[in-house]
Amino acid sequence: MTDIVVKTVEELKDAPEEYREAVSKLVISHAINELYGAQVFDEPAIAYAPTPYAKWLTCRVAMEEYGHHVRFKQLGVQMGIPEERMVPSTGKKPLSIFEFPLKTWEEFVAIKLLADLAEILQVEDLLHCTFHPLRNLARATMPEERFHAQFGEDFSAELVKTSDGKARLQAAVNEYYPYLPSFFGGSKSRNNEIFRKWKIKQRTNDDMRQDYVKRATEVAAKYGLTLPEIRQAA
Amino acid sequence: MNGVNKALPGPRLEALRAEVRAASWFAALGEPLTEGDRSDAVAYIAALGFDSPEIGVARDWPDAERLLKAPDWAPAWWDLEEALRRRLLTEAETLYPERALWSSLTDLTTETGDLVHGKAATAAARMGRAAAASIHVAAGAASQAVYQLAVARLAGQSASPFESKFHLYAAGRWPLGILGSRLVLF
Repeated sequence: MTDIVVKTVEELKDAPEEYREAVSKLVISHAINELYGAQVFDEPAIAYAPTPYAKWLTCRVAMEEYGHHVRFKQLGVQMGIPEERMVPSTGKKPLSIFEFPLKTWEEFVAIKLLADLAEILQVEDLLHCTFHPLRNLARATMPEERFHAQFGEDFSAELVKTSDGKARLQAAVNEYYPYLPSFFGGSKSRNNEIFRKWKIKQRTNDDMRQDYVKRATEVAAKYGLTLPEIRQAA
Repeated sequence: MNGVNKALPGPRLEALRAEVRAASWFAALGEPLTEGDRSDAVAYIAALGFDSPEIGVARDWPDAERLLKAPDWAPAWWDLEEALRRRLLTEAETLYPERALWSSLTDLTTETGDLVHGKAATAAARMGRAAAASIHVAAGAASQAVYQLAVARLAGQSASPFESKFHLYAAGRWPLGILGSRLVLF
């Protein structure tokens, strides 16, 4: 019953309604969050970047994030989702982290280091998705997401070379990290149950959150950073 | 707000797309400057309001990386471009529907990004010794130049500094900006 593989957008029309709705929710969520991330963090960060090298690298990251939004939106349009449901303000409520506008370069580096790691876990979970257009999109997106996280590592390595830089980066980690574990959704999420039932996603929210905390702790430790206590998931 | 419901100028955007596809992205990096390069460089910097500075050349990728990371770059150059871009974007927003304008610029920049990233990777492989991140930097710079040019043209400005800046990219150069007291081309 739930062993279904949907190889094309055309085939999706014949899939069960619950499957189609679940896939639509994921595509809308990714389209909106990629756009929020680009608008709230990546584009403003260009002004804070300290050198032309860092500015243009940030430009490229911002463009790739906008590009992810474009790709998810294009898939959504093919699936028949109205465009206005895949952009902020008219669509679903944003994640809480997007309510805190960027103020410094160190905050952006902390976000790339830790928030993009969360994004990697989300995309990893789609690499075996039974809806192949979404699986393929995840595969296309993954190298760029890894590059963005590496950006966070590279500039973290630069900042921690001085005690002042390290203190500012640690302060940014302390400010933003507590919001990130909730990125993975609630422990008893009905949506996640449906995603796993149809093998659209593979892991529970709690499993992913636990993995994220472990990996975030490891990557922070590489640069002598610590992670603050986290809030309970919603 | 006259004309705010005007449809985006499809032929103008398509012409720009054709220019982007035809450009010799990063094909002349490290080569000696031509008179055409010098002329475009002088026009670019004069249009931004700078006195004509000395024109310098980056020899190779490590040299370009060193220059772009040096602390003695001129923020005024970046800030002038950014102020101009913001003003032109505001003008364009009075001419076209915001959503359509934003979507067309995002689509153009996404397409351009994929194209120039590949061109930068090819140039880096050919010349050697480029840091992996520098390919992304080059692609970011080139995509930004196309975005700036698109905004200017959609605002009806056909003589902005972004025209001569794009000419440099189209001729295979990478204008690295005003670094120290020089406009440096790679």
